[in-house]
Amino acid sequence: MIASTLEMVPSMSRFFHGRNLLYVGVGSAAAVIAVVLILVSVIGSSSAETTGSVPVTTTTGSGSSTPAAHPKAPGATATAALFRGIPQQLNQLGNPKAKVTMIEFADPQCPYCRQYELDTLPAIVREYVRTGKVKLIYFGIPIIGQNSEAGLRAVYAAGLQNRLWNFSHLLYRSQGAENSGWITDDLLRRIGDSIPGFDTARMMADRQSSDVENALAASAQQATNGRVDRTPTFFAGPTGGTLQQVPLTALTAAAFRPTLDALVK
Amino acid sequence: MRDRHLRAAIALVALAGAAAAAYLVYARYTHTQIACTTGGCETVQHSKYAKIAGVPVAVLGLAAYFAILATALSARVEAAALGAAIALGGLAFAIYLIVIQVAVIDAICQWCLASDAILAVLAVLTVERLRRLAGNPHESSGAARMATRG
Repeated sequence: MIASTLEMVPSMSRFFHGRNLLYVGVGSAAAVIAVVLILVSVIGSSSAETTGSVPVTTTTGSGSSTPAAHPKAPGATATAALFRGIPQQLNQLGNPKAKVTMIEFADPQCPYCRQYELDTLPAIVREYVRTGKVKLIYFGIPIIGQNSEAGLRAVYAAGLQNRLWNFSHLLYRSQGAENSGWITDDLLRRIGDSIPGFDTARMMADRQSSDVENALAASAQQATNGRVDRTPTFFAGPTGGTLQQVPLTALTAAAFRPTLDALVK
Repeated sequence: MRDRHLRAAIALVALAGAAAAAYLVYARYTHTQIACTTGGCETVQHSKYAKIAGVPVAVLGLAAYFAILATALSARVEAAALGAAIALGGLAFAIYLIVIQVAVIDAICQWCLASDAILAVLAVLTVERLRRLAGNPHESSGAARMATRG
């Protein structure tokens, strides 16, 4: 009946016109769905960079204030490039199945840790981590003062998003004088906002989480087990085996190479 | 392949997609570590791109798969059109998220890629179903109604 009705429709072109219209409608609906989702995602991700932030205000003569955007933390681009493509899992950097493991005990306020981080770590990452030979594990211990713990909480909270190494590196790049109170919420937010794709608001909230408490406790326990009383201190050895303290005469890449080269052979 | 075969295939593939999305939703809300060989699943799932207007993308994916599944239960051409629109729109958004994973987050989520592949298959199946129904209205009373109206 329907078929015969169709045969009686005088213009088949009208039918094909209707079909084409259907395709156009479906394509348009799909485009609207995609555009709306992408727009909301883009707007949401860019506003996430600011909603979690304390607005920097500039007071004008009339007493009104306007929010200013956070500038990127120093070294944001170089830091992203340093760790780009290298797997991170909580406090671990590099291939989880790497032959060799090197542990670093560090304090975000420690100037020698900063020296190692900026001068030596890039070479170690390039020669040993990026090549899959060595994986690095970070243990933060608050040796210098209370401000160290504020930094470590943020560093470990960044680890919950697998960006501990980016965050710690950027924090060292902004390091101030010991116990001067330089690790502020504003600095932590600025660093978070400088890491691509990073959820800064979540990091700020996670600082007081049980995961971060457990990470701090585990680091302290590891430091006690290794009799670590200064930072930076390094241990290296076969992955899954016994790690020995790395004998260092300087915080240069050359000082690490004999130990690491012997282990990766 | 008859329409009912295509509908069965769409329903099965949508169920597979829903299973992958449901796993990510479960992991998110139970704080379970995601089984991941790429090492990037947690990073992607915890990034600021993992939510749309406060709703986890995995939840949106789950809803989309169930919606496509629902369209496969109906023989109407309107249902086929809706299924194709959701699958194509979802696929375009999935491609955007792949670009974000590679270019911005610097991490790959294998579960997301699996879901994207399923969405691509669904897009092909739903478009093929729509093409057949629109081209052969005898298979669907809805299509026939549209054609006679057209």
